[in-house]
Amino acid sequence: MRAAERRGRRAVTGLVVVAALVAGLPALAQVNPLPPDKAFRFSARVVDAQTVEARFIIAEGYYLYRDKIHFVIEPATAGLTVPRLPEGKIKEDQFFGRVETYRGDVVVQLSVKDPKPGQQIVIAAESQGCADIGICYPPTVQKVTLALPVGSVVPDARGDSPKKSWFN
Amino acid sequence: MMNAFLRKIVLPVAVGAVALGFGIEVAIRDREPSDAIALFAVSLPDTQGTPQRLDQWRGKVLVVNFWATWCDPCREEMPQFVQAQREFGPKGLQFVGIAVDQRDKVIQFAKELGLNYPALIGGYDALELSKPLGNRLAALPFTIILDRDGHIAHTQLGPLKSGQLRSIVSNLL
Repeated sequence: MRAAERRGRRAVTGLVVVAALVAGLPALAQVNPLPPDKAFRFSARVVDAQTVEARFIIAEGYYLYRDKIHFVIEPATAGLTVPRLPEGKIKEDQFFGRVETYRGDVVVQLSVKDPKPGQQIVIAAESQGCADIGICYPPTVQKVTLALPVGSVVPDARGDSPKKSWFN
Repeated sequence: MMNAFLRKIVLPVAVGAVALGFGIEVAIRDREPSDAIALFAVSLPDTQGTPQRLDQWRGKVLVVNFWATWCDPCREEMPQFVQAQREFGPKGLQFVGIAVDQRDKVIQFAKELGLNYPALIGGYDALELSKPLGNRLAALPFTIILDRDGHIAHTQLGPLKSGQLRSIVSNLL
C-alpha cells in the first residue's frame, strides 16, 4: 500500500513536471510573418510605349514607408522619371518626425525617358516596411522584366512574379 | 483500483512525457553550442569605432538584441531593456545591441534613450549573423538570450513582452 502510494505520488509529481513543460511551450512559439516579397508584392506592366505602371500590393497587417520606395530602370540608359508618390498616412514618429506609410495598394506611373521599341527593360523597386505584429524588414529589392511595345502594340506584362529579393 | 490505474496508465504516460520533454530540451541544447560559438566569435565596432567581441561577456546572462533606428517596434521595446540592464546588471545580466544601422543614427538614438549597454554597429550584413540563429526572414527586432554557460535559452522575433523578459531572465540569473 505504501509503495503504491509512493508510486502514485511520483506519478503526480511527473504530471506536475509535464504540466510545467506544456505551460512553457507557448514561450517557444514564434510569430509567423510573411517574407517581405509576399508582404509587399511588387508588379509592373507596360501601359504604352513609354509608360510603366508599378504596383505594390501590401498584405493586410503590413505597411510600407513612403520615403523608402525607390525605382530604378535597367539598362540605366533608358532613363526613368518617377513622379511624386501618392500621399500616405501621416504618422508622427518620435525619432524621425513626420513619416508617411502606405497600406493596401500603391500604384505609380513611371515614364521611360528614352524608350526603344521592343526593348527589354527591368524595373527594380526597393521598399521597406513593417508588420503590425511588431517586426520590420530591411530594404528589399524586387525586380520585374518587361518588353516595351514594338510600334503601337502593347504586349502583356511579363515577369509579374517578384524576382530575387535582397535576402536570397 | 486507483493505485492500479496510476501504476498501469498514468505513471508510464507521465514518465514517457517527461522523457519526451527532456528529449526536446536535450535536442534544443544539442543544437546550441555551435550557433552560440559562432555568435561569441562575432566582433563589431561600438559607437566609438572600437571592435568589441561578444565573447567578452561570456559567463553572464547575455541578451543580444538586433535592432535599428528605422525599426519602430525595436525602439519601442528598448526602454524596458535599459530598465532591465539597470535592475539586473549587478546580478550578471548583460544586454548587447547589434544595430543594423548607421553609426550617427545609433549615436543619436542612444543619447536620446540614455542607452546603458553597448550598441555595436553592423549594417545590413549583421542581419546575416541572426539567420542561423533562427531569424529566417532577417527581420527586426530579433533577440537571443544566452545563459551563463553560453547556451541559447530563448530566441525571439518581434518585441519581448516586459513580463516575458523578466521571467526568462530571472530564471537564468
